[in-house]
Amino acid sequence: MVAPSATLSTLNRADGSASYQCPSTGSNILGSVNAPVELPGRRDALKPEDATIEVFVKPGTAPAGVGERYVEGIIKTLLGRVILGREKGYPRRGVVITLAVIGGESVGRGDPYLVLLPALLHTALLALLSASVPLSMTFSATVLAVDASGQIRREPSAEDAATAQSVHVLAFSSKGHLLLNESQGSFDFDTWEKVRQRASAICHGTQLVSADGDVAMVEDVDGRPLEGTLRETVEDQVYRDYNWKINAA
Amino acid sequence: MSSPLVLLPGDEVPSEYLPASSSAPLRLGAGLRLLSQPHPTTTSSSSTQAPSHVLTATQAGILSTDTKRNALSILSFPHRRYIPTANDLVIAQIHHSSPDYFHCMITPQAPHAVLGQLSFEGATKKTRPMLKQGDLVYARVLSIGLGAGAEVELACVNPATGRAEPGGLGPLNGGMVFDISTGMASRLMRASSSTGEQQDGVAGLVVLDELGKKLEKAGGFEIAIGRNGKVWVDCSNSGDVAVKATVAIGRCLTTIDEHDLNPADQKKLVSRVLRELKIEV
Amino acid sequence: MASPAPPAPPPALTLPPSQFARLQPHAYLLAHLSPPASSNQLSIRANGRAPSQFRPTSANTGSLTHTNGSAVVRVGDTTAVCGVRAELLPTTDIASWSVSHASASSSSSSSSSSPAAPKSNSSSNSADAEESQIQDLNLLVPNLSLSTGCAPGFVPGAPPSALAQSLSYQILALLHSTRLVRAEDLRVWYEGPSFTGEEGGRMDVDVDVDAEGERDENSAATKKEIKAFWVLYIDIMIVSLAGNPFDAAWAAVLAALRDTKLPRAWWDVDNEMVVCSDVVSEARKLTLRGLPVASSFCVFEADAAAGWRAVIVPDADEEREIEDTAKRGMLRRWILADPDGYEEGLSQERVCLVVDKEVVGGEGKTVIVKMEKNGGWAVDSRELKQLLDVAAARWESLKQILEQC
Repeated sequence: MVAPSATLSTLNRADGSASYQCPSTGSNILGSVNAPVELPGRRDALKPEDATIEVFVKPGTAPAGVGERYVEGIIKTLLGRVILGREKGYPRRGVVITLAVIGGESVGRGDPYLVLLPALLHTALLALLSASVPLSMTFSATVLAVDASGQIRREPSAEDAATAQSVHVLAFSSKGHLLLNESQGSFDFDTWEKVRQRASAICHGTQLVSADGDVAMVEDVDGRPLEGTLRETVEDQVYRDYNWKINAA
Repeated sequence: MSSPLVLLPGDEVPSEYLPASSSAPLRLGAGLRLLSQPHPTTTSSSSTQAPSHVLTATQAGILSTDTKRNALSILSFPHRRYIPTANDLVIAQIHHSSPDYFHCMITPQAPHAVLGQLSFEGATKKTRPMLKQGDLVYARVLSIGLGAGAEVELACVNPATGRAEPGGLGPLNGGMVFDISTGMASRLMRASSSTGEQQDGVAGLVVLDELGKKLEKAGGFEIAIGRNGKVWVDCSNSGDVAVKATVAIGRCLTTIDEHDLNPADQKKLVSRVLRELKIEV
Repeated sequence: MASPAPPAPPPALTLPPSQFARLQPHAYLLAHLSPPASSNQLSIRANGRAPSQFRPTSANTGSLTHTNGSAVVRVGDTTAVCGVRAELLPTTDIASWSVSHASASSSSSSSSSSPAAPKSNSSSNSADAEESQIQDLNLLVPNLSLSTGCAPGFVPGAPPSALAQSLSYQILALLHSTRLVRAEDLRVWYEGPSFTGEEGGRMDVDVDVDAEGERDENSAATKKEIKAFWVLYIDIMIVSLAGNPFDAAWAAVLAALRDTKLPRAWWDVDNEMVVCSDVVSEARKLTLRGLPVASSFCVFEADAAAGWRAVIVPDADEEREIEDTAKRGMLRRWILADPDGYEEGLSQERVCLVVDKEVVGGEGKTVIVKMEKNGGWAVDSRELKQLLDVAAARWESLKQILEQC
């Protein structure tokens, strides 16, 4: 399994940005975050005690349509629970997240957007981290397809997803909560339980608690857990930026 | 502490990283918050009865501890837009003036901040400085408003004492402003405010000491660092090489900011820039 | 709406329940859901429903006379009107048709190009391939509008809101993923004069033909070709919005499609165009695949200040433990079925389940067609399993309602 690759703070002018290479669809997603910003002209629509989150998804080749509106809604609802919009300086201001899909197979009208959703979520998270927006937790997401024979396939391509029996996107918080589930296609609950377990293993790894109470991350068929990959991306950037401090210490 | 601890939002601060408990209360800086158990679940036997508290990060970055002030904070990514916080020293540019206030720009993205016409040292109706559009002031953030449309207020004087504290607040005449990252600005502030003679420089910066030594003969320079990512440099004492020296200092600072040079490279850079600009040292 | 029982008011405060509901919405709903143990009252929502009770639902079909099918579905105070209008799309108007599909369809019904032969052998596979025509040619066009004044805040002349666009997309995606409408129902065939009366046995013959390769039979088979498609424009209007628009909109789409009749259409060879019959008795109904029914839920958290106070979010395992212990004492959250507008405003976490039932060996088996949850961490697999049973019960009741109308 090819791990996704990501870099932080790729854009100069934005408060925070990230670029994310999604291995399964070949898309590159560029995300930028501006926060906190004044949202002009809508003072009545702003919540008095909370930040207003805006998400824009720009597809690579076509103008944004109803599908993008839908995905924007999903991302916005998820991030609404993760961003601490009541921290100092954020209430009545906006957190504006723009995600542009560059390259890869374009998503047609009415096609399931689910294949790209984890990549979009990861990009949004990394860009938020890079903008130092206060968050209560981090998360990781994955997409799984179940084919007619009940085989679970990780991160399917767009064609695989189109022929699959059901497609599932799951996101887990860093504390193991199921934050998001989007399932399409026909399936029964037992199948979903299996999908959930597999997705949890992909995001968090299979945890083994050894005798002395240490939690060890075990690498299995799914390679490194996604959570670790994301954490490493952030750590790399931090080390690069604080090179001077680390060397001096 | 050999390898610094990098925290992500939601990570708990391990207790061994907390400063050893002293009489002073622990101060929490940016990026950290104190969480308490919602309500002690009396029925579950595992949890202790006392309300438990946990420190968690809300931003990604390095945990930094200051044992002297008993403070703890997260150093997040430095390439951020400047967001005013009270007591920051900033370099602001006058945009226009109204009967009571100067309206000045701290960052191009943010709405204008206001600076009272009389909030200068010794200013009265008669003696207040007449600042024009484009003039620079070195000011302290007095207050940040709350909510949308709130105004940031600046002052060049401490309202309690009526003096320009710390020294140097007020209009900046002459010189030149360079843009640097906000992270670099705070490093420079720490480096320039420190008095102790440290071998390695403070915050990994030796550039100011190095420049000071080398330009001493030429007449020295004045520098003001604004948290909003601006550095003002003036070498008007340097006579003929004033412009050259100003450019040299600016070039050194922006290059170090861009390329994250280590102390040895910083020294090399200073020598190279001065040589290129043909400044006698 | 049933008149809510007034909550036990604090002694100093005397407000009518309606004002209390506006001033302290969270406390008002919480007081209903967790009555004091002494009062011996049942936990009930402010609108008088039990947590897993849906609002009374009624459906009416055929109310719009100028459409091919229509329905009005009312779920409590949320009302959705849906009209289905069928229009013909001649294959000559499809730019890519002659290139891709004409050759593809002839090759699948004849064995003139031998490599494609195995494809037509497995009937399920070829059906799948043809089914994608609905998606490829956009034969189903749902559009949802939240009409002016359906709820406060919908002003005239505003562009379609993000909610309306997102609902349109959800309905489109669900129509595609459930394959509710059969592509075959939407095709207008033209059969060559030499090939009438044999159609019944065609499929069987076809297999033989593949094996034996009889050329003359094939040439007859290629005569049958698609001349046009019906495009169904499915317009949904939310006339009144009082929470949970998706359930009502989807039920309206379902009822309208069940009501839809397509006139008999055929290819007129002389005029070279598709003509329709105006005889009502000749019109045929759509045969839908299954009856997927949507049920939405929201999660109401007892702690109103959860967003304000900085509290430790227990991780998933601790959460489960707390939940178990909470079962005996105070509940921390309630999952409310079919939330109304008031309840939606008080909750962040939403769950939407679309289920269908298949009869396998005389026994009804619940199939999930779509499962969504977002906006929180209260619902995990255990809660979803419980909700699935609620959704299955809802399927039964909505099936009855739809069958009666």
